[in-house]
Amino acid sequence: MKSREQEYKEIFIAEALEYFDSLNRHISELEKQPQDDRILAEIFRLLHNLKANAKAIGYLQISDVSHKLETAFSLIRNKELSFSDEVVTVLFDGIDMLGELITNVDSPIPVEPDPVLLRNLDIIVDSLSDSTIELAKVQKYTTTKNLSLSDLIYIQIKKLDHMLNLVGELIIDRDRIISLSRELNNDDLKVVSSHLYRITEELQYSVMDARLVNIGTLFNKFPRIVRDIASAERKDINLEIQGQDIQIDRNILQIITDSLLHLVRNAITHGIEMPEQREKAKKSRAGSILLSARNDRDNVVIKLKDDGRGIDLKKVKKTAVKNKLVAADVAEDLPDSEVLSFLFEPGFSTADEVTEYSGRGVGLDVVKNAIDSIGGRLQVDSKLGVGTTFTMQLPTSIAVKGALLFEVDTIFYAIPLLHTEQVIALDKDELHEVGDVMVADLKGETVTVVYLHELLNADEATINFGDKTRLKGQVQNIVVVSYNNRKLGLIVDKLYRQQDIVVKPLSKPLDKVDLYGGVTLLGSGKVCLVLDVPAITRYFIQKR
Amino acid sequence: MAKQKTEETAATPKESTPVIDTPAPLQNGAKPNDQGKPQEPAVKEENVHLIVFKLGEEHYAIKIEQVKEVTITPSITRMPRTPDFVQGVANIRGDIIAIVDLEKRFGIRPAPVTEGLNPNVTYTLVIEAKEYSIGIVVKEVPQSLNLAMSKIDKTPSFLQDTNIKDNYIEGIAKVDSKLIIVLDMFRILSSDEIKQLTGK
Repeated sequence: MKSREQEYKEIFIAEALEYFDSLNRHISELEKQPQDDRILAEIFRLLHNLKANAKAIGYLQISDVSHKLETAFSLIRNKELSFSDEVVTVLFDGIDMLGELITNVDSPIPVEPDPVLLRNLDIIVDSLSDSTIELAKVQKYTTTKNLSLSDLIYIQIKKLDHMLNLVGELIIDRDRIISLSRELNNDDLKVVSSHLYRITEELQYSVMDARLVNIGTLFNKFPRIVRDIASAERKDINLEIQGQDIQIDRNILQIITDSLLHLVRNAITHGIEMPEQREKAKKSRAGSILLSARNDRDNVVIKLKDDGRGIDLKKVKKTAVKNKLVAADVAEDLPDSEVLSFLFEPGFSTADEVTEYSGRGVGLDVVKNAIDSIGGRLQVDSKLGVGTTFTMQLPTSIAVKGALLFEVDTIFYAIPLLHTEQVIALDKDELHEVGDVMVADLKGETVTVVYLHELLNADEATINFGDKTRLKGQVQNIVVVSYNNRKLGLIVDKLYRQQDIVVKPLSKPLDKVDLYGGVTLLGSGKVCLVLDVPAITRYFIQKR
Repeated sequence: MAKQKTEETAATPKESTPVIDTPAPLQNGAKPNDQGKPQEPAVKEENVHLIVFKLGEEHYAIKIEQVKEVTITPSITRMPRTPDFVQGVANIRGDIIAIVDLEKRFGIRPAPVTEGLNPNVTYTLVIEAKEYSIGIVVKEVPQSLNLAMSKIDKTPSFLQDTNIKDNYIEGIAKVDSKLIIVLDMFRILSSDEIKQLTGK
């Protein structure tokens, strides 16, 4: 595996060569149509990008030459320099030199830009009116160019999506073949199928790897955005970014882009106080926002932390009671994490007073839904006066996920591991009937427990979550899931294994059934339903 | 799948043939009209090729263009908290599709079990409609039938009289003494019912 730097360098060279080719094409066109502003603008853009990229990666000579050329072209654009034959020659020479520098970036003997040419460039830029200074003749060193094709190709994400889907199908068939080969007990078949296993696994990771992009491609847009919003709000903000080189599936990054923008905007407009207020609260005038990414096992964790005014839990409770999300007496005793989860209720934060008090603006439910849709998790922590932290836990890949398999009433189900907290076996006596639900004590925490068979299969009219007598057997297997800062224990009939599954989305018209995030085919050929934890939790709350 | 033109097959209406004559499911691409029946010279009139099946005591039909395949019903995984008429999902050649019971969907009284018919074997018509694909379970082997377009009465008066909402009936055909209800598969699930699937 190549190092990250090497990979960056290759990408830079490939892009730079592409810019170089376009520059050559455009300047040749410009020579024929010197009046065409569009061509000029394009040349300008190419040079500008090249300059920025070269500077970022530390190729100062390239950025230097690009800068000089850019200056020359800006003069031409402003009609301060005419596109005369002399100038054209110098510009062509300059672009050739760029090509030379780019192709030799990696060579052991560094290529220096021709000082004569650099001088010529300076002359045409500086001595606008005074054309008496002779342009020195530049020695041509690229008369016979080597034609070469780029090592990088651009590929539509659609094609990679298609490939990943095919790999998904292949994995399903592979698991089926492996299970068949075990049943048939044929040695040859076993050897072939284990080879097939290794190849498909490698194929799967290669395709997944090809889809990965640096989180920096998104994060690096934020300094500018933060600056703009902050200046509009007349606030001082220091943005710190960490973990730009963490990699994540491109489509996942695409889906969270709007959510992250939303959260950052909220943090600035509602989270961070005005400089004067901050001084009164004995904080530094400038608020700080930390945007960070890190790997956590198979997941990527993105954190957005501000040191603003935080969320006022009392006000959140009040509004929750007012919006009839919870009874007043219940609200009193709710743990903080559950109170914060009200923020994600649809329409909750749209009420003006909440925005004012809590400092969290409109549409957190939209953010939540976007993250739910890719099987991720969103958490919020906040301390009044100290700040707020949003944590997104995202899968690295969409198609393949680790999941827990189990059985309820002879039907196979799976729950993505991202949503499971723990698996525990409890004796029936350790479950208690409290009101209309069952609860269990898990390491000092009281967690609501529900019999999944009752939730899924009982007649909706006579559904009863608090009746222990409906349980089968003495020992209960419980899968503890977590959604929206709330834990819920699901009692299952039989617990199977942990397994990587390929989730197939349900096709129409079943895609509207939100209890299921999709289906997967088991090695046995059986259909296994993938439960959607957010929807299950909502369904439970609604039926309760 | 290639949709086969059926205009040139001008069999007489009486000539209905079983779609499945072996227990094996039809292979991909094998259309039920490839039965090697002697073809009569083409007549000018436009024909329509139907797959006829029984729901309750009555005969229903779907145009063959809308039927992707007919197969012995594979094992169905029940899907809790979906409407009654959704029997579940099944794996048909790698595609997971919804299996629907039209008797329940239309409120048709199921017929008593026919003598000599194995109640454990049913057949599934895989339908490809514009918006979705579903499987329809029928108890008896579906039949293939060629019919002149003109035999289908598209505007029977009862359709106007009775209060059948969602006009999923395309027309009524009379063949000998049999009455065949031709369904418009594109309208079989109304948007209301698709909404109902959300389980809310």
